[in-house]
Amino acid sequence: MTALRVLTMRVKAFILRGRSDLDLEDDIRAHLDLLTEEYIQRGLSPEDAQVAARRAFGGIEPMKEVYRDQRGLPLIEGLVQDLRYAIRMCRRDPGFTSVAVLSLALGIGASTAAFGVFNAVMLRPLRVLDPERLALVEPQHLGKRSIIFNPSFEDLRSRQRTLTGMFAVDDAPFLKVTFDDTASPSYVRASLVSGSYFSVLGVSSSLGRLLVDRDDELADATGGQPCAAVISHQFWIRRFQQNPDVLGRTLQARNIQCAIVGVTAPEFVSHQGGYAPDVWLPLRPSTDRKLLESHSMAFFAGVMGRLAPGVSKTQAETELTALYQQILSAGGEKRPADFRISVKPGAQGLDSVRRRFSTSLMVVLAAVGVLLLIACANVATLLLGRGAGRMSEIATRAALGAGRGRLIRQLVTEGCLLAVLGAAVGLALAWIATPALASLVWSGEAVLVDPRVIAVAVGATVLAALLCGVVPALRVNESTLRVNMAGDGRTTTGHGQRMTRMLVAAQLALSLVLVSAAGLLLRTMVHLSGIDPGFQPEHVLMLSVRDETPGSSFGRVDSPEQKSTRAALYRTVDERLNALPGVRSASVSWLGLFSQNDLWIALIDADHPDSRPQGRVDYVSPRYFETIGMQILRGRGFTDRDREGTERVAVINEALARGRFGGDEALGRRLAIDYPGEQDRPFTIVGVVRDSKYNNLRELRTEPMMWTPIAQAPFRMSSIALRVDANAEAGVARRAEAVLKDTDRYLMVREFTTLSAQVRGNIARERLLLGLSSGFGGLAVLLAAVGLYGTLAYAVRRRTREIGIRLAFGADRPAVLSLILGDALKLVVVGIAAGVPIAIAGGYSLRAFLFGVEPVDPLALVGACGVLALAAFLAACIPARRAAAVDPLVALRWE
Amino acid sequence: MLTVNRERPLSPLPNEVPYGTLDLMVLKTLQVMGPLHGYGIARRIEQMAEGALALNQGTIYPALLRLEQKGWIASEWGTSETSRRARFYSITRAGRKQLSAEADAWARTVAMVNRLLEEE
Repeated sequence: MTALRVLTMRVKAFILRGRSDLDLEDDIRAHLDLLTEEYIQRGLSPEDAQVAARRAFGGIEPMKEVYRDQRGLPLIEGLVQDLRYAIRMCRRDPGFTSVAVLSLALGIGASTAAFGVFNAVMLRPLRVLDPERLALVEPQHLGKRSIIFNPSFEDLRSRQRTLTGMFAVDDAPFLKVTFDDTASPSYVRASLVSGSYFSVLGVSSSLGRLLVDRDDELADATGGQPCAAVISHQFWIRRFQQNPDVLGRTLQARNIQCAIVGVTAPEFVSHQGGYAPDVWLPLRPSTDRKLLESHSMAFFAGVMGRLAPGVSKTQAETELTALYQQILSAGGEKRPADFRISVKPGAQGLDSVRRRFSTSLMVVLAAVGVLLLIACANVATLLLGRGAGRMSEIATRAALGAGRGRLIRQLVTEGCLLAVLGAAVGLALAWIATPALASLVWSGEAVLVDPRVIAVAVGATVLAALLCGVVPALRVNESTLRVNMAGDGRTTTGHGQRMTRMLVAAQLALSLVLVSAAGLLLRTMVHLSGIDPGFQPEHVLMLSVRDETPGSSFGRVDSPEQKSTRAALYRTVDERLNALPGVRSASVSWLGLFSQNDLWIALIDADHPDSRPQGRVDYVSPRYFETIGMQILRGRGFTDRDREGTERVAVINEALARGRFGGDEALGRRLAIDYPGEQDRPFTIVGVVRDSKYNNLRELRTEPMMWTPIAQAPFRMSSIALRVDANAEAGVARRAEAVLKDTDRYLMVREFTTLSAQVRGNIARERLLLGLSSGFGGLAVLLAAVGLYGTLAYAVRRRTREIGIRLAFGADRPAVLSLILGDALKLVVVGIAAGVPIAIAGGYSLRAFLFGVEPVDPLALVGACGVLALAAFLAACIPARRAAAVDPLVALRWE
Repeated sequence: MLTVNRERPLSPLPNEVPYGTLDLMVLKTLQVMGPLHGYGIARRIEQMAEGALALNQGTIYPALLRLEQKGWIASEWGTSETSRRARFYSITRAGRKQLSAEADAWARTVAMVNRLLEEE
C-alpha cells in the first residue's frame, strides 16, 4: 500500500516537477530567512548572519539533488534528458537524420504491410466463436480434392452425428444485384450459404437477425415470400450509412428477390481469410430446384462444420466417409470406395485464397525481411561513420565525468529515437500500402490492427533500435576513450572501421539477392510472353455470361423440348453476334479458353469400348476455331449444318489424336462421352486442330481435348468470343451486351475482357512478383549505395592527411583515384562473394515461379552483379574525386 | 556534519545521526509541537539534542518529502514569522501509528543493546 502511494506521489511530482522546484525554492528561502533572523538576534551583523545561516543550512545544490531523486522518477528524468539531447543531435544533422529515418521507414513499413496481408490470409483465425472446433469437410476422389454435389451434401448433412452443424458455401466475388433504391444493378462480393452458416460459425448480428435453417426453404414452400439476405457491417456503413431502415429493403439477385433481414457483428468478416463478402444469400432459394436435385450443382468454395463436443477429427472423418460412400453407392456409383471425406482443421476457414497465394506471399515476406535487414545495416553504417566523427566529443564528455554506461545509454537512446521515428513514418507508409497490397489478394480488408501484426511491427522496430543503437555503442570501450582523450579525435582506426566495412559488404550481399531474384523473374516474364499459346489472342473480346433461364438444369434431366429451345436460343445469339458491325467472327461456348475450368471426363472409343482415357471437352458454336484463331490441321471445323438431328461430330486436338489413335488417321473414328445418356451416342471425328495452351501459358504439354457443337449437346453457355476489327472492342462490347439483353432477358453479362488480357492475367502473379522484387531490389541497391558512399566519404575525410602526404611524395591523382576506387572494389568483391550463395539459395526458393530459366541462372547472377558494381562505382566516384582533388599543402596543414 | 549520499539518503557518518532516527525525531517533534515549518523542526531537534547533534538543516527537506510520500505527515502552505511563503508540516494518523511502532522498536533495540553491553 505504502509503496503504491509513494509511486503515485512520485509520478504526480514527476508531472508537476517544475512547480515543485519553485515550491522547494520558497521553503529554502523562508528557512534561510528565519536562520538569518536567528543569527542577527544572537548579535551578528546582517552580512555575517547570512553567511552563518548558509553554513548551518548546508549545501543547497546537493540537497536539491537528493530531494529530486527522492521526489520524482529519476530514471525517466534521465531518459528525458537523453532524449532531448538525441533530438538535438538529429536536428543538427537533418541530412543524416532523414536518410536514416527513411531507410528504416521503408524497412519497417514494407515488412509491416507485407506481414499484415500474410497474416490476414495465412495465419489469422476466423473471428468467430471458438474457431478451433471448426472443420473443413473436403470430399476426395482417389486421394485428390474433389467436389460434393448437392443432394449428396444434404443427405450427408441430415444423417451425420459427429458435427453439431454443417454448411456449404459458394463464393460469388462479382454478383450482380439490384437494390430497390436504384434502377441500375451493381456488383457486390457475395457468398451463397446454407441457412446454418451463421449458427455453425457462431456469429451474432449487430442489427436484425442472421440466416437460419428456415431460410433454406424454397420460394414455393414459403408462399412466395422474398428470401432473406444478410449484409456485412462494413457494407452497411458503406452503402447504407448505418441506417437502421435497411431492414426490409429488397434486392434482386440472379432471378430471385431477397429482403435484408440483418447486419452481421462488426468483427465478423467471413469464412475465409482474404475474402470479405458484402452480402450473404441463402444458397437453396437462390438456386434452381432442379439443379439442387439433379446432381449437377456442386459447392466449389467448400463445406464446413463444427465438431460436436468430444469428437475428434478422425472420428468425424470415419463417420462421414462411411456415410458418403453409402450415399454414393445408393446413387449408383460403381466404385464408392474411391471416395472419402477428409476433415481438416478449420480455424482459419476455407483455404482457396490461402492455397492460391501462400507461395507468393512467402516470397514477398522474405524479400521485405531482407529489405529490413539492409535498412538496419545501412543506418548502423551511417551511425558508425558519424560516431567515429564524434569520438572526440564523446571523449570530452567522458573526461568531464560521464560514465561509460551513461555514454552508451546516450548512444542507444539516439538509435532508439531514429528507430521510433522510422517506425512512425513506416507505419504511415504501411497504412497507405496495405489496402493496395491486400486488393492484389482478392479483396481489400483492413488488416493492420491485429496482435500479430502489431507484434511484428514492434519487433521490426526493436530490431532496428538494437542494430542502430547497440552497434555504435559497442565502440565506446575504455581504450577508445583513452586514445581519444590523449589524441586529437582523428586517430581512431581498426575495430569500428572494420565493422562499418563489414556492414557495407553485408548490404551489398543482401541487395544482390533481391536484384538477382528480380532478374530471374524478369527472364521468366520474357519467356512467358514469348510463348505461342497455339491460337491468336489479339483482338478477341471475351464476354463471361450466365444463362439464368429458370427451370433449366443444363443437365441430363432437361426435357428434349428444353434442349431444343436452348439450342435455338444459342443459334440466334450466335447469328446476331456474327452480324454485328466490327465483328469478324463470333462464337459461344460452354467453357471457353483460359477459363480456369479444369474438368475432365472419360472418352469412350466406340470401336474399343474398354479403353476410356480421360480428356477435356468443350461445347462450341460453328465459328469457334476461326474466332479464337486455332488452326485446323486436317478435316474441317463445325458448320451451321451440325445440329440436333444430323450426324454428331467432333473436332479433337493433336494430343488426343496422337494419344488415342497413334499414327492412324483419326478422322472418321468415333468417341463417346462417359456421361449418363451419352455413352452410346458417339461423335464422329471430322477435324484435328493444332495443340494449344488451355488454362496456363506454363503448361508444358497439351492435354487431350475434344470439341463438339453446342447445338448437338446444349450445355449452358458461359463464354462468348468475338474477333473484332482493331480498336473496335469498346463499341462491340456495348452492342454485344445489348444483343444478349434483347434476345433473352435471362442472358446476363458478368464480365468483359479480352482474350489477350485473360492470357496475360494468367501471369499476373509473376508480374506482381516481378514488380515487387524489382522495386525492393532497386531500393536495396540504393540503400547499399548510400551506405557505401557514406563509408568512403568518411574514409576520405579521415585519410585526407595521408593522401596529402602521398601527393606530396609524388603520387599522381589517378593513383589516388584508384586508391579509393580500389577500396570500394574490395567491398564489392566481398559483398558479391557473400551474396552469390544466398542469391542461389533464393533462386531455388523461387523455383515455383520460374519458367524457362533455371534457379541458378548465370545471366541473372552476372546481371545482378553488374547492377551492383555499377551502383557501387557511382557511389564511390564522388568521394574518389574529392580525394583526388586534395591539395597537399592544405592537407598537411589540416589539423 | 551530515553528508549527502545518493545511494542512501541521509545515512550518517559513524558518530552522527544514527540511520533512520532523523525520521523518528521529525515525527516525534511534530507530535509534540503541532504544525511546524522546516526551520522550526530543525531548530527543535537541535535544541533537544543539546549540541550533541550537528545537523545540516537542509537535509531535513528530503526527509520531510519522504515522510509525506509515505503519508505519515501532511503539509500546508502558510506564512513564516518573516512573512515568507513556507510549508507547515503536521503529523497524520498513520504517522502517529508509525511513530508509536517505531518508538517501541527503538526502545526494544536500545534495551537489547544495553543488556548486551552490561553483560561483562
